[in-house]
Amino acid sequence: MQTKALRRRPRQGRFLPYLLLTPALVLLVGMVYPFALGLYYSLTDYWLQFPRRFRFIWLDNYIGLFNRPLFSRALEFTIGYTLVSVAIQVGLGLAVALFLHAHIPGRKVMRAMMLMPLMIPPVIAALMWKIMMDATGAGILNYALSFIGVAPVNWLGSPHGATISVLVIDTWGNLPFISLILLGGLQSLPNEPYEAARVDGAGAAAMLRYITLPLLLPFLILAATFRVMDSLRIFDVIYATTSGGPDDATTNLSIMSYEYAFHWYQMGTGVAEAIVLLAMVVASSFVLLRLWHRTAESVVQ
Amino acid sequence: MTSLPLSQRHYAPRRRERSTTTVLPLSRRHYFRHAAVLVAAIILIVWTAFPFTWILITSLKNSADVISVPPTFIFKPTMDNYAALFFASHQGEYSTSRPDFPLFFVNSVIISTGAVALSVLASIPAAYALARFTFPLKNSLGFIFMSFRFVPFLAFVIPLYLLYQRVGLYNTHIGLILAYQLITLPFTIWMLRSFFMEVPLEIQEAAQIDGCSWLGILTRVILPLSMPGIAVTVILGFMFCWNAFNYPLMLAGRQTFPVTVGAIQFISYDQVLWGQMAAATIVSALPQLLLSLMVQKYIVRGLTMGAVR
Repeated sequence: MQTKALRRRPRQGRFLPYLLLTPALVLLVGMVYPFALGLYYSLTDYWLQFPRRFRFIWLDNYIGLFNRPLFSRALEFTIGYTLVSVAIQVGLGLAVALFLHAHIPGRKVMRAMMLMPLMIPPVIAALMWKIMMDATGAGILNYALSFIGVAPVNWLGSPHGATISVLVIDTWGNLPFISLILLGGLQSLPNEPYEAARVDGAGAAAMLRYITLPLLLPFLILAATFRVMDSLRIFDVIYATTSGGPDDATTNLSIMSYEYAFHWYQMGTGVAEAIVLLAMVVASSFVLLRLWHRTAESVVQ
Repeated sequence: MTSLPLSQRHYAPRRRERSTTTVLPLSRRHYFRHAAVLVAAIILIVWTAFPFTWILITSLKNSADVISVPPTFIFKPTMDNYAALFFASHQGEYSTSRPDFPLFFVNSVIISTGAVALSVLASIPAAYALARFTFPLKNSLGFIFMSFRFVPFLAFVIPLYLLYQRVGLYNTHIGLILAYQLITLPFTIWMLRSFFMEVPLEIQEAAQIDGCSWLGILTRVILPLSMPGIAVTVILGFMFCWNAFNYPLMLAGRQTFPVTVGAIQFISYDQVLWGQMAAATIVSALPQLLLSLMVQKYIVRGLTMGAVR
């Protein structure tokens, strides 16, 4: 309806929108082509070291993946890490958002400051933490923790430590994102339900549970959706800190795919893994976005 | 511990709120509440700012101070690490493992600027079409553009790597600018679309009555009115490019590494130069921290591609 006026004009032409989209579509083709090429490679045994041996092997790469013990570990890590990190980050993000939404002195400054981790490249954030987690004097973290009685943690050197380290770094970088979305949500909530609840004598906990959380649900789901998609694919933080180690403890599908393609030059297997990951991202985003639509609609009603 | 949790504060209407916070805490309940707020604020501030502070301190230490155990807090600050990054490469104390860091910085600027310029130029007409026209395929096209934001980068980068090797785009600025379109184009299209849609339709209709063509509407109405939006899009797009690590890791070589990939090179030597690495991270993060001050209000909108305002 908003374009009725435009469409009335005869010289407008039906093809004008497509003409306008042409430059972007050309660039889009530049993206679709390598992707299609990748799909094709994933069905071949393309091995860069033996370029002559290029056969079409149908789904063998995909089937072969499931026979590799490392793949199931990487799959487990990818899913487990996503679930745990999103739960923790959304939980903490909600706490921070509620805190910064309250009328406390200096919250404007704190809000601006809180943004900083979001503003730097994730890989740079990872390097900063890597310095702090070092065992030498540059590694302030263990030194600081020793004051509250925590024994030195082997941050990046042990399997458990490495997983926790990645989680800490990832959370540090992305907490502001979640908090900002939720803060935006909190600011958009109507005032009436709270007034009504207060008249009815509801306590703070009850209002949080029965008013704030249900109304905030679409924002929580939206934040979770973005984080799920990014956590499933997380690569730069892991690569910069542990490269998937130690003992493959932090190897997720992205890292494993990278290893296959760029260390062993098995391009077919590498792409196949990326496609499996893509399927997971698409499936989870499909579910979460539907959920988001449904909650967003029910909240509006 | 206290019967009135912090989280209740935002429920109260503003007027009452002010009165409770400005009144001096007389009761025990108030005292607890203020203490809790203070502790939470300190935790939040330390959590956010401490890494920056420590890295800044580390970058100002000489090579002995950096690794001394326990960490030193009182030391003679030195600019050696920064000097090593930017100037001398082989003068005793100034020696660095990455003499090419200034080049990396220039690379980042070239690639990010090129990628954003190309994306924005292609996105302006596309966003105009998506915001102001109806045509078949409109929604699916818009969705396809957005979906690229969420595809695992390896699905692109492996075939791109092979393709670039073949056609000679590997380790070139042009190749990287084209690859960065995967990062910027979905973003610029959706951001500009959301800004263009905010231009009131009445103004556009008035212009049409005055005889403006579609081109006139774009150049005389939509573009001037959404200039701030375009500026925000450019800045945020630039920041996302500056952040990029995955694509250049595989598609760039020694001559075209951006700072993100350059900074990580400090590790791969037998002796890790923490001081220089700290200086490198500070230098790499600085442009963005400065840019972010300008677009603070729009960051969430940018990160959600216009979904949350």
